[in-house]
Amino acid sequence: MKITEIKKIEDCFDGSTVYGYTFDAVWTQDRIQQFRTLGNLDYFPDFPRPFFRVCQKNGVQIKGIQGDNNCRVIYPQKQKEVRKKEFEEAFMES
Amino acid sequence: MTIYLNNAASGWPRAEGVCEAMTLTLQTPPFHPGRVAGGCADVLTICRRGIAELVDAPDPTRIVLTTNATHALNLAFWGVKLNDHAHVITTVTEHNSVLRPLHHVRERFPGLRLTILPTNATGALDEEQFDQALEREPTLVVINHASNVTGRVNEVEQLFQKAKKAGAMTLLDASQSLGSIPISVKKIQADLIAFTGHKGLHGPAGTGALYVNPSLELEQVFVGGTGVRSDLMLHPANMPMRLEAGTPNMPSFAGLAAALRWYQKEGAAHAQKATELANRFREALMNIPKVKVFDGTAKVCRTPVISIQIAGWAVEEIGYVLAESFGIICRTGLHCAPLIHQAIGSAPEGTVRFSFSGFNTELEMETALDAVRRLAA
Repeated sequence: MKITEIKKIEDCFDGSTVYGYTFDAVWTQDRIQQFRTLGNLDYFPDFPRPFFRVCQKNGVQIKGIQGDNNCRVIYPQKQKEVRKKEFEEAFMES
Repeated sequence: MTIYLNNAASGWPRAEGVCEAMTLTLQTPPFHPGRVAGGCADVLTICRRGIAELVDAPDPTRIVLTTNATHALNLAFWGVKLNDHAHVITTVTEHNSVLRPLHHVRERFPGLRLTILPTNATGALDEEQFDQALEREPTLVVINHASNVTGRVNEVEQLFQKAKKAGAMTLLDASQSLGSIPISVKKIQADLIAFTGHKGLHGPAGTGALYVNPSLELEQVFVGGTGVRSDLMLHPANMPMRLEAGTPNMPSFAGLAAALRWYQKEGAAHAQKATELANRFREALMNIPKVKVFDGTAKVCRTPVISIQIAGWAVEEIGYVLAESFGIICRTGLHCAPLIHQAIGSAPEGTVRFSFSGFNTELEMETALDAVRRLAA
């Protein structure tokens, strides 16, 4: 699963650290479950379109919908660039 | 299926006839409305008359057509001749379309005193502080008719009456109220009222207006082409041309004229339905554990706007899940009204805002309610 597009997402606050990622494949249940190794996974399979949220110890949050080929990632203000690079590199290699 | 509950941002769907009127204008050779003889009024005149009628203003030439409410507010702020000795009173419930221009005016005139009134514990504007502020020679009082965050309707009739007695000019931001609640220029005692066409009227974006009381002559902010009286060196001084320059957005005003026609026939019932749906939604939300409704008391007049937070969820995340998983479009964050959140207790992240229109159905309201219940479970 590789990143095909990266978009900075603005919100109500100056200095947003939210990014939208598009991938070359969709989030399957198996792929979502793999996030358990990265952090705390909340998975809501009974929502009309299942939602997942991963909170990593380093402050990175990943949110998406099963079946979509995109997700949102919120980076912590501190070490934002380092965490962003880590996330993006992880999906370049896989 | 998409459920649209973001009508406080922009009314959708557009009113009957809007798309057709806009398309027809784009497909028809342009003409200058002031230079054509003919039996029927042009769309700009229809818009002026329609808005004047809607707000009980006797003279349509006092309705200046603008691109939006922000444009109208800027015309007012820069047109009322504020200076270093002016005292402007406004409130924490205002939108950035009021707050930002005022801060820019103060940058230009550093001596200008800007009083920003807080709300009291019930969520209403603090009248005691308002009265105190009026004692300091107010130049201009600017208040929104209804909050775009909580829907609370301010008691502007009473507040403006006091402001006029204190010698201030009065400016009403009616962005959230036009189309939702009745507005009467005569009753409100507003010298200036800013409107938008794309919210409660369900007209197209890019349309708005400023009502200017006949006793006021605003300084011209934009000057230039008018299509008529081109031999004059200076921009014409008569209203409404005095405050309108450049080619107007004719397709959008044609759309607004259609929206006003629709509103004349169906507006009252439409607004009532929206209010009923919103009231029932608000009442039901207040009974869901983990859901906090901001300024949710049923005892005040409101537009169909409800702001909430759900424990355990970030507001931005709620908006994302509602849109992407449930197909419900609402709005999250500060809603361009940054100061109210401290007052109502929703700082720093703001709220999830649901805003209804008469085009919404009971089923849509129930579906949104069910979605909130599932998030709060």
